[in-house]
Amino acid sequence: MVGVLAGMSVVAAAGCGSREAGSGGSSATATREPRVDVVFTYGSEKQGWIEETTAKFNNASHRTAAGKIIHVDAIPMGSGDCVDEILTGKRQPHIISPASAAFIKLGNAESRIKSGKEVVGSTRNLVLSPVVIAMWQPMAEAIGWGRRPIGWRDVVDLARRPEGWAAYGHAEWGRFRFGHTHPRASNSGLISLLAEAYAGAGKISALTLDDVRKPATRSFIQGVEQGVVHYGSSTGFFGRKMFQNGPGYLSAAVLYESMVVESRDPKAYQLAFPVVAIYPKEGTFWSDHPVGIVQREWVTPEIKEAADAYIEYLLARPQQERAMSYGFRPGDPSIPLGAPLDASHGIDPKEPQTTLEVPESDVMNAVLDAWEGVKKNAKVVLAVDVSGSMKDDGKIGAAREGAQAFVAALGDRDDLALMTFNSRVSWASPFAPVGPSRAALQGTIRGLFADGGTALYDAVAESFDTIAKTPEPSRISAVVVLSDGADRDSTMKLSTLLQRIRFDNEGPGIRVFTIGYGTDAKADVLEKIADATQGRYYSGKPENIREVFKEISTFF
Amino acid sequence: MAHMASDQQPGLTFLGKIFVLLIVAASGYGAWYYLHRGASSGPSSGTASDGSAPVDAAGGTTIGVSYGTEKQRWFEWAVEEFAKTRDGRGIRVQLLPMGSLEGAQAVLNGDQRINVWSPASSLYKGSFVADWTLKHSKSPILREETLALTPMVFVFWDERYQAFAKKYGTASFRTIGQALDEKSGWEAIAGKPEWGLFKFGHTNPAQSNSGLMTLVLMAFDYQQKCRGLEMKDILDDGFQDWMRRIERGVTGMSNSTGNMMRDMVLRGPSSFDAVFVYESVVIDYLKNAEGRWGQLRAIYPKLNMWSDNPYYLLDTPWSTDAQKKAAGAFADFLMSERVQKQSLIHGFRPGNPAVSIKTPDSPFVQYSGAGLRVDLTTSCEPPEAPVISNLLVGWQRSSAR
Repeated sequence: MVGVLAGMSVVAAAGCGSREAGSGGSSATATREPRVDVVFTYGSEKQGWIEETTAKFNNASHRTAAGKIIHVDAIPMGSGDCVDEILTGKRQPHIISPASAAFIKLGNAESRIKSGKEVVGSTRNLVLSPVVIAMWQPMAEAIGWGRRPIGWRDVVDLARRPEGWAAYGHAEWGRFRFGHTHPRASNSGLISLLAEAYAGAGKISALTLDDVRKPATRSFIQGVEQGVVHYGSSTGFFGRKMFQNGPGYLSAAVLYESMVVESRDPKAYQLAFPVVAIYPKEGTFWSDHPVGIVQREWVTPEIKEAADAYIEYLLARPQQERAMSYGFRPGDPSIPLGAPLDASHGIDPKEPQTTLEVPESDVMNAVLDAWEGVKKNAKVVLAVDVSGSMKDDGKIGAAREGAQAFVAALGDRDDLALMTFNSRVSWASPFAPVGPSRAALQGTIRGLFADGGTALYDAVAESFDTIAKTPEPSRISAVVVLSDGADRDSTMKLSTLLQRIRFDNEGPGIRVFTIGYGTDAKADVLEKIADATQGRYYSGKPENIREVFKEISTFF
Repeated sequence: MAHMASDQQPGLTFLGKIFVLLIVAASGYGAWYYLHRGASSGPSSGTASDGSAPVDAAGGTTIGVSYGTEKQRWFEWAVEEFAKTRDGRGIRVQLLPMGSLEGAQAVLNGDQRINVWSPASSLYKGSFVADWTLKHSKSPILREETLALTPMVFVFWDERYQAFAKKYGTASFRTIGQALDEKSGWEAIAGKPEWGLFKFGHTNPAQSNSGLMTLVLMAFDYQQKCRGLEMKDILDDGFQDWMRRIERGVTGMSNSTGNMMRDMVLRGPSSFDAVFVYESVVIDYLKNAEGRWGQLRAIYPKLNMWSDNPYYLLDTPWSTDAQKKAAGAFADFLMSERVQKQSLIHGFRPGNPAVSIKTPDSPFVQYSGAGLRVDLTTSCEPPEAPVISNLLVGWQRSSAR
């Protein structure tokens, strides 16, 4: 149980970066009037809605009975972090709202063991959104959507078939590419995994430890996981990548219904095809966005009063109606569902017809452990810039710590190679399974020092080529590169590099995750490299590099 | 959790005892009250017809009302309306949603936010008063009112009830039990595998009044009698097995009736095909359900019991005179005809006998198509406290919750 939340301690999810301050917009900020500051941490899935409504709340200068202005600092993050930050003491929020009650259940169970008290008591649902399999409409139609109910099992069958879409008469679509987030870091990932376990056990309720331990259940989960493109901590990232990059990137992903609605916004996306929501026939889960006041000593009666006022504001009709435009089903049942929650936005408001039960926390932990044993393994090159400029501002020291945290987060059966680069490229450690070589790898990392120039492009090219030489489709292949400055020493040009590594459906499917480290890093260049491979760029600094590395580790 | 006092006499926690002792008094009182509407409504029955009792609002007064969520929507409306009245201006009513037992315990623990306690039923009153009096040598209740009454009902999604009734005839604990026993769920019940398992809910009997009433009515249903429920009926192996089988299939054991009903409407038949709740709660959500998933259908059990929703104005050391006066004004307002009529809209049978429930705009008339009925069948006689106590302990053992 403890492990579930411990593993969820990753950096803020996509779209919120590593921000410390949340939504603002306060007329009170500039005044000297006494005010009550409320810290609200929440699952980033509802970021757009929360930012808009919180700004309005702050601007309206709501007051406590004693006349103090209430100001809310709303901070988006992964759902696991909402609870984990309280348990680890990293932050002292007053209100939390993860995407699912499952996180409160796990957090309260862990907190009771540690301190005898819960993290959050009673909660209310801010908004709701069922977890769905989002699929491109032509692909969904090919597997029967619109003619018959589709289930998790249909997806598994597709994921297991080596011929991919050819099995449904569409060889031109290639492999079936499936995505869900990391179940230890993200609500939709955890839910997706539980749904797989239920389907594997042939049940829709009362999942037991025995069910999870059955070889058939594990084999079923493994079948699904082999079709997974990569993991990650943010459902929003998956959704956005899928909508931006089209069916060649992902055939289907486990997302929230609200994201399917969002995909139909022509200002945000130019879709290759419409995306539709499949409500798995075996049942699914609701992302129910519980909101509650934290049960800790730092929540004073005055703050509680202010927190209550803010929660009431979020639940009031105008804000609830506004939530619908963000694709959410309002938590206020008196508001009838209407546009855009309709078929023209790819969803069916009369679904889902049945749900799966959230298992007890020990069963959830067993499912997560089973997943660790059967998940798709990774093959990763970690390329670290050791140029002379890394000596400045303590960068090399923090980078060493971050890289060690990354190695610690990888699975025993993941393969890792370590490369360093300055004016030349060096292999500090060849590919080897992480399990037996973890200590040695960390020793090597501890011994890294900074000197010389920067041959970034050569390093990326060589890392990429090394993986491409021996492609392993059964693994998630990636290069993770950290660099703190401009390339001055490569023989290769950026344009040539981008051409070579560009992602296409028939290629080796290697993604490059780039970290621009420190103020002199070339963010634009690193972003181009990441985007070319459908990877992701991160901005890092010595203070947060450990979290950035841990965040990247959730992709594997 | 319960612990064993002896092999033969399983014990309950203090709160459990309060809970059990009071159900006896309250259910009986509810039935009596409803059958004798028109008689005096108590020592401090509402005097104002429009909430016009004078209140010194200078400087503003805040009162806290601990209440059960089954009355949430009515109370929220009432608080807003009260603020618009001359008497309510300057009075801030802070609603504190709490389970009935939770509210009593909070007052006993000195929760200074609470000036009024309004549980689902007066069955908690006796033990609360006794416990308070031990500490403070006087009654904590300054004034009391019966706000509204309500019986229990099964509520289904109409489409699913039609399919259910086709196979089982009607809804009762027996037929619910049969449906829960179907391993393939709706596939076996109605040839609808896409509806999943049959999903039935009631609140947690150890935490919620309606949950305990569920167990009592389950026992009446099994023994097919309405009074004289005895220890041997509860300890009967057949009954215990039957209750265990039903309880194994029960999902989403909520501690609040209002929250459970709300959940049913928010998540539709994906969460519950049917629940067992207060009639008032169903009525309150009938219209909302249509805007979300479709029609609901209420089915009354043949054997039923009442909840009476009392309002206790508290005489605690932390309540100032201004707060007591404000709480009195709010009580008057709640008992006024306009507000009592509104309670009808939220599904309650008004405590003010001057308000009829048979008018054309009454939900009992408007929603008769959804199965609502003005006249009930049999109202059962509450069992003795030790019988209920054993019932609850049996449930706790069998469900291991």
